[in-house]
Amino acid sequence: MNPALQPAKPQTSNPIQAANLVKFVALAFLFGAIGLAYVFVKNQQFVLAEQIRKTERQIRNVQSRNEVLIAKVTELSSRPMLQKRVSEKFIAVVAITGDKIARLTPPATAVADGVMRTAFNSEPAQ
Amino acid sequence: MRKAEKMRIVIACIVGAMLFTIVSARLVDLHVSKHAEYSRIAAEKNTVRQTIPAKRGLILDRNGDKLAVNLPVHTVFADASHITDAEAVSELVARYLNLKPSDVSQKIGTGGKYLVLKRKVPDETVLKMQAEMSERNLRGVYTEIDSIRAYPNNSMLGHVLGYLNHERKGVQGIERTMEKHLAGEDGYRYTERDRTGREIVLYRGQEQEAKHGKNIRLTIDMGLQAILEEEIDATYRDLKPHTVNAIMVDPKTGEILAMASRPCFDPNNPGSSDPETMKNRSIIDMVEPGSTFKIVVAAGALNEGKVDEKSSIFCENGRFFYGGRTLKDHHGYGHMNVHDILVKSSNIGCAKMAMMMGSEKFHEYVRRFGFGERLGIDLPGEIPGLVHPPSRWDKLTITRMPMGHSVAVTPLQITMGMSVIANGGHLMAPQIVKSIESQDGAVERQQPKVVREVIPEKTAHFISNALAGVTQTGGTATFARVNGFNVAGKTGTAQKVSEKGGYAPGKYVVSFVGYMPAEDPRFVCLVMVDDAQVSSGLNYGGLVAAPIFSRIAERSARHLDLVPTQPAIALQPDPITVLFDAEEATR
Repeated sequence: MNPALQPAKPQTSNPIQAANLVKFVALAFLFGAIGLAYVFVKNQQFVLAEQIRKTERQIRNVQSRNEVLIAKVTELSSRPMLQKRVSEKFIAVVAITGDKIARLTPPATAVADGVMRTAFNSEPAQ
Repeated sequence: MRKAEKMRIVIACIVGAMLFTIVSARLVDLHVSKHAEYSRIAAEKNTVRQTIPAKRGLILDRNGDKLAVNLPVHTVFADASHITDAEAVSELVARYLNLKPSDVSQKIGTGGKYLVLKRKVPDETVLKMQAEMSERNLRGVYTEIDSIRAYPNNSMLGHVLGYLNHERKGVQGIERTMEKHLAGEDGYRYTERDRTGREIVLYRGQEQEAKHGKNIRLTIDMGLQAILEEEIDATYRDLKPHTVNAIMVDPKTGEILAMASRPCFDPNNPGSSDPETMKNRSIIDMVEPGSTFKIVVAAGALNEGKVDEKSSIFCENGRFFYGGRTLKDHHGYGHMNVHDILVKSSNIGCAKMAMMMGSEKFHEYVRRFGFGERLGIDLPGEIPGLVHPPSRWDKLTITRMPMGHSVAVTPLQITMGMSVIANGGHLMAPQIVKSIESQDGAVERQQPKVVREVIPEKTAHFISNALAGVTQTGGTATFARVNGFNVAGKTGTAQKVSEKGGYAPGKYVVSFVGYMPAEDPRFVCLVMVDDAQVSSGLNYGGLVAAPIFSRIAERSARHLDLVPTQPAIALQPDPITVLFDAEEATR
């Protein structure tokens, strides 16, 4: 029998090329991972941006509160307000005795004849 | 394959190709041809230009006390396209902002994207409102940070500080003249918003930071200002004059230490103030100065060598007939030297000195002392006053101007004129701004400026000695004395010019301008009272204005911690108070 006319032997090797498949799968995973990483990073950016927005808002609020408080402190410590408080006897002005004042210029001694001696209180504070 | 089948495939391909071509053409049209148009629409829809407001600079006194501050407030607005429950939002917003729910609902119903609901809403209100909105899951109402100007000292120093208009631009006072430094420059940021209106920080575009305004430090000392204002308040209350002015200046530098006028206004609420009360009369009112002007003729005549310290001038025993009119002195005097002419305030002596100088020379000295010109203070509306040139003088002017008539000057000019004597002969430019301070700490100091040398130091000292005599026994201003100090100064009593022309009978503008300590002046202070409601016999500078000066000077000496150099003198009661009390007792 002519060997050429003999039926072909059944193929014993696997037609799927494992090496290529591995490459393909690895590539697919790589692209997938890159895609997921991109999404993750993008997501993180949005989360951080949201945190920035919230922090900025908090800073703005704190600054705003600070300015309100500065304005209130300024108002409460203004001369008209302090004078009002003194007249209401809510606060009292206590004389500082002359010996408690540190001076750059020498103090003038007070005398008993009613002569003005600037910023020198000979009477001890009550 | 049969021919019919092939044909169908060809037709299907052609149809498919045509469809793709149409779609592609449309895509090209949208992405290429109409790219600019659609980009603009998209940008308008999502991108917003967010303004970053600049903070207005503060105004401080020379010691750093805050005189004008910013109070944060909010502008509350609604974006109707973000509102899902209009009724609930209207009710909530109306409750917090004190509005009618129907009004809010009507506004939201217009569907606008920027509907201002209320301006100048306090910070606390906004925080509470936002918390409740968040809790109830409502949206569509937003706020923009804004600020209002607050003046913690209320009406004190109101004329100097000024105020802002509704566009936050200074319209008066320092707020106006220093506008370019105080205002700063708003920044901006291009950013995108999502469909709920929240900013997408990731897509922020071009950004420019705000340049905050600079702080302005004034030369004003609020301690001295408070003293000045308390005293003129008392005068305004007790004597019921038309106006009262007081100015305190450091003669060596020209720094304004305090400046006040009555009536006054509260810059926190300018809308409810009478415009008349908003005038800073120290620089925009002109008055005939009266005898305070005599320092000009005395200084001029001495400096020109027309008289010297020992020259004797005959004062005509109180009646001098010249130009068809009689010029009178308060008392009749014979021969007097320049010192005594100033101490006794002789009109005739001063008129004769002016005649010795001649009109041209006398006019030159009037101008050299700064009268008839703007002195250049950093406050709006300063007027030059009115000093006619000699070509427009009549025959009497040479005898009237030396005693402060036929001339109109501002209170500031009188004060700066007296400063010439106090500082040894220099006319200083009045300075109200001490420094301009940036937010980064850079300080731009304003230096004192000498406008001109008016008279030599020797002449100034001579006049100063004479002015010290004015407050001594026999002078016209003994009530200006201050215990422990040597005070120099000059009284002024001028009949008030009537609006109808001529002089108003029985109405006087009385003043005292002096300095202390006379040997080394720390301040020059003017007190001017216009038409005090006292009898004509009492309405003199020496009786009305001098005691006010004395009280101001005494308290100022304590504030400045001046060391007394003079022996004690007996304390003097205020003459007006004594006479008032006497009148009360006889009733």
